[in-house]
Amino acid sequence: MVKTADKIEEEIRAIFSGDTPWVTIVWDDPVNLQTYVVYVFMELFGYSKVRATELMLQVHNDGKAIVSTGSREEMEHDVARLHEYGLWATLQRGDQL
Amino acid sequence: MTATEGFKRHGDHSYIAQFADSEKEVLLNLCEQIIELLAERTDHGHDDPLAAMVGITSHDSPPEDEVLHRLLPNAYADSVDASEFRRYTESTLRQKKQAHAISMRIHLKSSDDGIVDLDHENANAWLGAINDIRLALGVRLKVENSSQEELELLAPDDPLRGVYAVYTWLGWLQETLLSALIDDADEDEEAQLGNS
Repeated sequence: MVKTADKIEEEIRAIFSGDTPWVTIVWDDPVNLQTYVVYVFMELFGYSKVRATELMLQVHNDGKAIVSTGSREEMEHDVARLHEYGLWATLQRGDQL
Repeated sequence: MTATEGFKRHGDHSYIAQFADSEKEVLLNLCEQIIELLAERTDHGHDDPLAAMVGITSHDSPPEDEVLHRLLPNAYADSVDASEFRRYTESTLRQKKQAHAISMRIHLKSSDDGIVDLDHENANAWLGAINDIRLALGVRLKVENSSQEELELLAPDDPLRGVYAVYTWLGWLQETLLSALIDDADEDEEAQLGNS
């Protein structure tokens, strides 16, 4: 499928403005154990247990949480690692939340 | 042999568990199933060996099988972006998941007395593999749409009752390994704070 001219223009602008408005979102999942989610956040992102627990609870209570922000490439890397460990993650532009 | 007590810390960043023969059989069987399931999604009809070599697959749509779909989910809500990402990354993801299950299988197979002793890296592979098995069983059990009470009250002759028993047992086993790993991480964190 062809990207619309608007979308391309928008992406080019984002690249040149130096903005890195991408986020990785983890979605709630009834299978993954809470302790497991905490551990994966600690292990993959180097978060403290307190920070990892906060994020896990946010996923659990709100249905989702932003777990990392950065460039699109970085977020694709994070999503791939989260998928490797079975967490349900997606990435998107931070300004389109 | 008695039922396993799960994983315990054993020295420095080492985690040990002993499994009864029957437990080992169940775990091996589940590992095989995950390995086979992932292998089913091969890059069939690939006519570009160079593309295959760098990990580009012929798949740009999510698997139809519900379990495979959960193991290999979309990375984007947008279907065009999701397809493109899948083409470049799905085969690596499959390989990594298979590697986790294969690592678990090797440990079990090479243990005569049912004892497995894992280092940090192996423990992560086990966690990932156990989690994939639980995700697969969870899809079959329709955990998404069923309450815990409903699952616990499955009739004795319901084939899903056994699946649910394995599912909860794996959750418990995973929890014992996690608690050992997190205890170690806590101690490392404290040691770091003490040093700074």
